[in-house]
Amino acid sequence: MSATDTGGRVSRFGSAVAEGWTRERFGLLGAVALVLVALAPPFQVYLFTDFLVVALFALGFNLLYGYTGLLSFGHGLFYAGGAYGIAIVLRDLGPVIADVVGTGISPLVTFVLGGVVGLALVVAVAVPVGWLSVRLEEIYFALITLAFGMLGYSLIIQDPAGLTNGTDGVIVLLGTVDLGGVSLRIGGRRIYYLISAVTVVAAAYGVWRVVNSPFGAVCKAIRESPDRAAALGIDVGHHRWMTFIVSAAVVGIAGVLRAGLASVASPGLTHWSTSAIAVIATVIGGATYFYGPIVGAFIFLYIRWAISRFPALEAYWELFFGALLIAVVLFFKQGAVGGLLLLRDRVLGDGDAGDAGSGGGGALDEGGQATTATDDGAESGGDSDARTDRGDDS
Amino acid sequence: MSFTPLVPLIGISDVVIGLSLGSRLFLIAVGLSLIFGVLGVLNFAHGGFYMLGAYVTLAVISNVVDNFWIAVVVGALAVGVVGAAIEFSAIRRLYDRVDSDLDQLIVTFGFVLVIHEAVRFIWGSGSYSIDPPDVFNFSVTLGGSTFNAYRLVVIGLAVGVLVALWLFITRTYFGSLVRGTSSDREMAAMLGVDVPRLYTGVFFLGSVLAGLGGALSAPIQATSPALGDQVIIDAFIVVVIGGLGSMGGAFVGAMLIGMMQSLGPQFISAGSIAIPFLAMVVVLLLRPEGLFGGIGE
Repeated sequence: MSATDTGGRVSRFGSAVAEGWTRERFGLLGAVALVLVALAPPFQVYLFTDFLVVALFALGFNLLYGYTGLLSFGHGLFYAGGAYGIAIVLRDLGPVIADVVGTGISPLVTFVLGGVVGLALVVAVAVPVGWLSVRLEEIYFALITLAFGMLGYSLIIQDPAGLTNGTDGVIVLLGTVDLGGVSLRIGGRRIYYLISAVTVVAAAYGVWRVVNSPFGAVCKAIRESPDRAAALGIDVGHHRWMTFIVSAAVVGIAGVLRAGLASVASPGLTHWSTSAIAVIATVIGGATYFYGPIVGAFIFLYIRWAISRFPALEAYWELFFGALLIAVVLFFKQGAVGGLLLLRDRVLGDGDAGDAGSGGGGALDEGGQATTATDDGAESGGDSDARTDRGDDS
Repeated sequence: MSFTPLVPLIGISDVVIGLSLGSRLFLIAVGLSLIFGVLGVLNFAHGGFYMLGAYVTLAVISNVVDNFWIAVVVGALAVGVVGAAIEFSAIRRLYDRVDSDLDQLIVTFGFVLVIHEAVRFIWGSGSYSIDPPDVFNFSVTLGGSTFNAYRLVVIGLAVGVLVALWLFITRTYFGSLVRGTSSDREMAAMLGVDVPRLYTGVFFLGSVLAGLGGALSAPIQATSPALGDQVIIDAFIVVVIGGLGSMGGAFVGAMLIGMMQSLGPQFISAGSIAIPFLAMVVVLLLRPEGLFGGIGE
C-alpha cells in the first residue's frame, strides 16, 4: 500500500474531501458506510445494490472506452453471459450439487460455482470475440461489437441449443443456506446487498490496480495515439485484445450479480440498448476518470429514481438522459467527475488538476492479467506513462 | 438447427415481400450511407428519423388532409427539417474534435433516446397502421400466390430513388460539390465551397430519405415507438454489407437483407435471425469497406 502513497500525497478522491486524510482512513469510512447502507429501508437497499452492479458494468466498459479509446456497443453480451452462466448452473446443476455437498450449504456452493462458471463463460466468449473485434477501430469497432452483441441476442432468443429458454429467460432462485440452525436467504435484499458490495468493491479495486499498473499506462498511451504507442514498441493489437478480455470479465462479474438481483437472466441483457446503459453512465460521469463510471451510474439510477417520484415524468425518463448525454458530450466532455474536480480546484485554489489520476505509474504489477500482457510494452511504457495522462485540458 | 428440404415452395409473394422489405431498408440505409460518405458521421438517430417519418405521415392523414401522397411528402420534409436542425445545432460542433467519430456516435445516440421519448409523448405507446392508398389497395395474384399491389409501388419507388440519387450525385452541380467535399473537405473549402452549409444540406437530404422510407412503409408495417430501434440495426447491417458510403451497395445490401428476412425462416427454423448479424461480422472482418465498397461512389 505504501508504494502508491508517493511523497505522502493521498489519493485524489481523499484529498477532495479533506487534506490530511490517509487512504486507509478514507477506505475504512467507506467500508463502514457501505455496511450501514444494509440497514436502510428495503427498497433503498435494492436501489443501492442496483447502483453497485451498474457501476461495475460501466467500470468494466470504461476500461475499453475511457482507457483504451474503443467504444463498444456490445458489452451487453458479457453482461448477459455472466447472468446466463449462473442462471443455468443454478437450474441444471443445483440438484446435483445438493446431492454431493448436502442441502444445508448447497445453495451457497451453487451460487459461488455459478458465478465462477459465469465468469469463465464470459472469458471464453471474450477471447475469440475480442481477438476479432480489436482488428477494427473507431466506428467499425463500435459496429462489430454491436453485431456480436446482437448475434448473441438472436441466438439467446431463438435458442437453437435449448439452453436459454428463449424470450422468457431463465429464472434465478438463490435458495436458503442452513448452517447448523442459522438460515440465511442468499437472495434476501440485505444479504444479497452485502454479497454484492463485497464483490463489487473487490472487483473495482482490481480494476483500479489494473489501470494504475504499467498495463493501464500502456492503455492510455494507446488511447492517446496508437501510432506513437506502436512506435514505442507496444504491440497495440495484442494489448487491445487483453484489455477487451479484462473488460469483458469485469462486466461478466456485474452480469452474475445482475442475475441474482433481478431473479432472472433475460435476453434483454444482451440487447444493444443494455450496452448503451454503460455508455450513458460512463459519459455522464466522465470517461477519462477512474471514478467517472461509478459517479455516472449513481447519477443514472438516482435521477431515474427521483424522476419516478413524479408520475407525469416517470414514463419519459429516457428523454432526460438523452438530453443530458447530448449536453455532456457537446459542452462538457469531462462529465460529472470533471465538474467536481474543477469545482474542488476553484474552492481550494489548487492549481495542479492536471496530475490527477496518474497514480503509481510504474510501481505496481500485481494484477494477474497485467503482468502477462505488458511483457513487450512494460519497459518502454513505464516511464512515459505519467505524461500521457489526460484531463489536463479541462 | 434443422434444415428443411432445399426446395421449399418459394412463392412469388415471398419474393415481392422480400423486395418491398428491402426497399424500405434501402430508403433508410441510403440516407445513412450518404451522410457517412460525405460527413463521416454514423447517425445512430437515423432509425428514429425513419420512425418519425411514419408518424408524421399518419398524423397528417388522420388530422389534416386525407391524401396519402401529400402526407408522405409532408412526412419526409418534416423529418428533413428535424435532421437539418440536429446537424446545425449539435453535430457540427463535433467535426473538429480529435475523437469526433465516437462523440458523434454518442451524441446521435442521445437523439435516439430523445426522439423515441418525444414520439411516445406525442403519439403514445400503441401501434398504428393505415391502409395503402386506394388506387393500389388491391390484391395481385401471380404464379399462385397473392400480395398487395402497394408493395410493387414501394419497390418501384425505391428503384426510382436510386436512379434519381445517382443522377443527382453524378450529373448536377450540387452533386459534384458533394463528391468533391466527400473526397477532400479542406480542398473543397479552399476552392470556395461553403462546407458547413453543404453538410447541413446533405444531412437534410439523408434525413428526407429516411423520412420517406418511414412514410412509404406506414401502410405495410405497424408503426410503434419500438420501430426506430429495430430498423436502425437493420440499416447498420445493410450499410456495412453494402459498404458505408456506397449507394449501389446500400441497394444491393438492402435487397439481400429484405430477402433474408422474407425467405430465411423457411430454410432454417432456428437461428435464422442471427444470420444477418453473422453476415455483418464476416463482412466487417474480411472487407470492412463493404462488398460494393468505395466511398462517394
